[in-house]
Amino acid sequence: MAGQLTREGITLKGSAEIVSEFFFCGINSILYQRGIYPSETFTRIQKYGLTLLLTTDPGLKEYLNKVTDQLKDWLYKCQVQKLVVVITSIDSNEILERWQFDIECDKTVKDGIVREKSQKVIQEEIRSVIRQITATVTFLPLLETACAFDLLIYTDKDLEVPEKWEESGPQFVSNSEEVRLRSFTTTIHKVNSMVAYKKIDTC
Amino acid sequence: MAQAGDEWELSKENVQPLRQGRVMSTLQEVLSQQESASHTAIQQQKQAFELELRFYSGDDPLDVWDRYIKWAEQAFPQGGKESNLCPLLERAVKIFHEEQRYYDDLRYLSICLKFANFCSEPLDLYSYLHSQRIGVSHALLYITWAEQFEARGNFKKADSIFQQGMQHKAEPLEKLEIHHRQFQARVSRQILQGISEGPEAEEPEVPEPQRSSLADLKSRGKNKVKAPINRVGDSIKPRPHGLSVQAAPTQQIPSRSRFAVFDENAASAAPELPSLTPQQWTAPPPARSKENEQKAGQWNSGRPSRNSHQAAAASEPPQTLPSFMPYVDESAQQQTVTPCKINPAVTSVLSSRKPGKEEDPLQRVQNNSQGKEEKVMYCKDKVYAGVEEFSLEEIRAEIYLAKIRKKREDDLQEIALRRQEMERQIQEMEKQLKGSCIESEEIVSDQPVQNVEPIIAPCNSNTNESLCASQQAPVMEFPHCFEMADAAPTLPRMETLPVFNETGNKPSLPGLSPALSCDLPFTIFDESAEAAPSMTDQKRMAAPVRRPLAAVPKSIVKSQESQLTDTLDGTEPLNEEAIVCGSGKNKSLFPDPEDTCDFVRAAHLASTPFHRARDQSGECLQSDSLDLERLPLREKTPVCEESYRQELCIKKLSPILEASQEDTRTSVSSVSSISSTTSMFTSRPIPEKLELATQITGVYESEPTTEELPQAEELAELHRQLLESLPELLVSPEIQHEVGTMPDMKEQGEVVLGCETYGLKNEVILHPNSKLFMGAPVDWDMGDMKAFALKVDYQPLPWDFYVTMQLKERLGDLFETFFIEQTNCFLYQNGCISLYKDINRFSIQEILLDSEEHIKEVIVLVTYNLLSLVEKLHSVEIVHGDLRPETLLLDDKIFDLSSSLELKGLFKLVDFSHSVDLKLYPIMSSLRGFPIAQTESGQQFLSPQSSPYQVDLLGIADLVHLMIFRKPLQLHQENSVWMICKEVPRLRGGNLWNKFFTKILNAEGPSTRVLGELKGEMMGQFDSCFQDKLCNYFIQLEMRLNPL
Repeated sequence: MAGQLTREGITLKGSAEIVSEFFFCGINSILYQRGIYPSETFTRIQKYGLTLLLTTDPGLKEYLNKVTDQLKDWLYKCQVQKLVVVITSIDSNEILERWQFDIECDKTVKDGIVREKSQKVIQEEIRSVIRQITATVTFLPLLETACAFDLLIYTDKDLEVPEKWEESGPQFVSNSEEVRLRSFTTTIHKVNSMVAYKKIDTC
Repeated sequence: MAQAGDEWELSKENVQPLRQGRVMSTLQEVLSQQESASHTAIQQQKQAFELELRFYSGDDPLDVWDRYIKWAEQAFPQGGKESNLCPLLERAVKIFHEEQRYYDDLRYLSICLKFANFCSEPLDLYSYLHSQRIGVSHALLYITWAEQFEARGNFKKADSIFQQGMQHKAEPLEKLEIHHRQFQARVSRQILQGISEGPEAEEPEVPEPQRSSLADLKSRGKNKVKAPINRVGDSIKPRPHGLSVQAAPTQQIPSRSRFAVFDENAASAAPELPSLTPQQWTAPPPARSKENEQKAGQWNSGRPSRNSHQAAAASEPPQTLPSFMPYVDESAQQQTVTPCKINPAVTSVLSSRKPGKEEDPLQRVQNNSQGKEEKVMYCKDKVYAGVEEFSLEEIRAEIYLAKIRKKREDDLQEIALRRQEMERQIQEMEKQLKGSCIESEEIVSDQPVQNVEPIIAPCNSNTNESLCASQQAPVMEFPHCFEMADAAPTLPRMETLPVFNETGNKPSLPGLSPALSCDLPFTIFDESAEAAPSMTDQKRMAAPVRRPLAAVPKSIVKSQESQLTDTLDGTEPLNEEAIVCGSGKNKSLFPDPEDTCDFVRAAHLASTPFHRARDQSGECLQSDSLDLERLPLREKTPVCEESYRQELCIKKLSPILEASQEDTRTSVSSVSSISSTTSMFTSRPIPEKLELATQITGVYESEPTTEELPQAEELAELHRQLLESLPELLVSPEIQHEVGTMPDMKEQGEVVLGCETYGLKNEVILHPNSKLFMGAPVDWDMGDMKAFALKVDYQPLPWDFYVTMQLKERLGDLFETFFIEQTNCFLYQNGCISLYKDINRFSIQEILLDSEEHIKEVIVLVTYNLLSLVEKLHSVEIVHGDLRPETLLLDDKIFDLSSSLELKGLFKLVDFSHSVDLKLYPIMSSLRGFPIAQTESGQQFLSPQSSPYQVDLLGIADLVHLMIFRKPLQLHQENSVWMICKEVPRLRGGNLWNKFFTKILNAEGPSTRVLGELKGEMMGQFDSCFQDKLCNYFIQLEMRLNPL
């Protein structure tokens, strides 16, 4: 991580890298927290000053890596707007949770422009976002059934759909409660996050 | 970078996650409030719930508990003591655990299951539920139960639970099956792992498993629930909802096979499923032991209770006895009292309480049996209904508040009903009234004006008058409840009729002409709208003036008093002071007493010692006859002496007192009282109760000679009364209130009105109170026929304005044809000037004075127009009362008849000083107020039975007579048929006219009909050359009048 960025500041490429890495870790965290995959299949790493859990499941790992690369590419080109993790129940195909990350690209930045922002600060920001994701347990309902997840990426309109990707709908949660989470920015890319979950049935 | 909405994150450790999740808004709210010490909102909500618990009267008490519990869960994220969640759950479970109807209720089941989380031994609870068949049809029970077993490692049991559930076809079955499958998968995985890793258990290089944060640990121990020391690996409770794979269990070094390996192969061999024997519980198992709660010990036991072991806090599993099992602490030890700091010698101090023996809720439940021996004499259940005690005062308060609320609702309903009732009655009465040909004008008044209408009772001293049957109305209750007045806005406001003085010779009967006869002896009396009785003399009363006195002191015209009863029943004082201060017999009676009682008393005090003399003096005036000029007999214009009374003031009742005749010189006057007080007596018909006759008085000047009966002033007074009842009239925009007295109006003078100066040309004295001036603005070309008319009233009453307004309202479009509207009306302190712009200077008087012989056509035209004019007036129940040539102004059209199609609307009336609005006064008892009644013919013709309309008919006849004969009307009666004395010569269309006169003088039926017929006859005269002749005539007339 340290070697990938120049010390002086953030470049477009560097920012894309940071953000995509964040997403990789973030998605892993979500999968762990929400129990999409058994917790035993996760292993720990240290990143952002936190202990993060990353999956060891090979298939999942490969999938996520691929997504991250694609995302990095899109981030570099400033063509991506949102990334969404949708958690659905396997049995009922009902969308139970939806994690949405809005990405704002500063399109004026081209190669060669360096922005001033401390690496440390960005890391702290990312850290707090991930911590917050962990803390959502306070209000998120228990996911009782086995769930699966989907990744949706909102891109610019005229982008061609890469291989292995398909077009899809927005997959909103019906009757949802939404909670806005923290955001972080690299001065070139800004990421806002929020989670939507099913409203409580007073049953 | 904590943002504003991030309290949840900051307090995340303090927030217990809920299975169903939390509502973020509530969470935020609660967390943000935690800094404040009071958290009133939450407390209030809690209080509300508690209240609801106690006073719920519906069918489903569980609902209240359910909502309360859910709210408590959300509102107290810490789930701690504050939320009282545990006791709440406990109570809920306890209360309903015998209610069969809730056994299948999912809500109750979820409450029980939540409660199980608090229980130290949830398995017991589940067994109990099962045994009691509570919630056995819900899959949730089995799932949760099995979860517990699984957590304990008892997979066999867990599986059997699932099987049971499926056997019972618990709903939702799919969910149960899914969970079962997952469970089985977990178990098998675990076993497989266990099997596969078994031989490798000795490897020491197995990396130390790490403790994970926030992981659920399995509780160790069958009896005591303790957190395992080993907190890794196996001890972590597997998440039952996920496809969690058990961590490698064999990595534990001391691998205790605490569980029986569930060998599904083996299990399948065993066909019989261990069935759960329903254990017989009589009471739900206890909740978690309350270490820190003090039990309310016996007060009189005196001995310190035993300490309980901390260890013993864990409740024991119940012995599997078929009967009820008391829960006793396993290791209940007697411990000595901890040495207290207080000097034992000092026994006055209450000994500190030790935590008592842990009492299980089970025991508490059992203790319910105390109810059989003891009877609780207070509302114990209410006091302890919720989790908090309610004090008796609170309970009482709530009962009281509920009562108050109910009472208020009842009151409101009742009022609404009453209002409807009243409205219905009003409508009925209205219908009745309408049916009896008396139409009452409905004036909606917002102000509960306290004017009391004078009830006229023409009392005749001699002829024992029937008291005014004329107007009386079923009076409403006295308006001390003003909403009644508002509720009856449609009550027709009947102003009472003025009493016209009857002299001794004419019996005054209630003047009900056939046209106006009504069946009802009364008209509806609206106490809120009265014409005030005239003023009383202040000097006489020597009372402090509470308000400026009436402008017009009146003379007395009182004939007689009938019985003056001082009964005050039925009258209620206007203000409560009277009640409070008592009926002050010694109170001085003011001219306008505010109090009805005062009023009545004052009325009684009124006396008429001298009226007889007056009557006699009045008589002599009657015989005067008027000549053509019809100048009023009154020689002086009355001048108001008193200061002008604000019209907008609320009129109070004032007894109309009678002053002695002799005092008239000093212009003291008073009027007889309003027997409006009598109107308060609703029950009695008015004629009986009539005490006094009211009177209208004239204005006197200090003139010794003028002691006539000012008849005209009666009308003026009448008008005043009427107008005073319409204060809103005076605030209408057309009237300009001017400060100060009226400017001096004299012929050839100039006067400033508004912003313009007008030069006055001709003066037409109409009668003492009013004059008509022709004038024009000073800068006008005076040669024009166009002029302005200024009608001057020496009374500050815009009566003309009122009448014009009414006419406009009632006639609508036709108004323009026949009448002129005032452009401006200036109201002064002592008079009123109405300005008519844009009128013609000439009136019928000019035609009359014309030297030329009148041609027949002209007379026909005039007659025709007059008839249509009066017809219009009568059609809206206005009697003009004083048709005279000077006030019938010519319209411009008349000089240009060739172009006009219709021959009506050629004359415009400008003077309404003597008109009477019969809508307000349907019955006029005496017609003597009209000027025409003063004439000889009038006196002959008009009798008290005559209808006011006949006044106008007479007026028309008079005018026509004037035109034909140049002499006023002279009548005689032949065989009760009125005829003119002088017959019209045949040459001049005698046939027509004789018939005309006969008809008009002997009119029967509604005047409008007669007028219509006559009009028809006149129109019959319109032949082809009619118009031409008229044209010629008027052109010539114009030339004569306007020599240029």
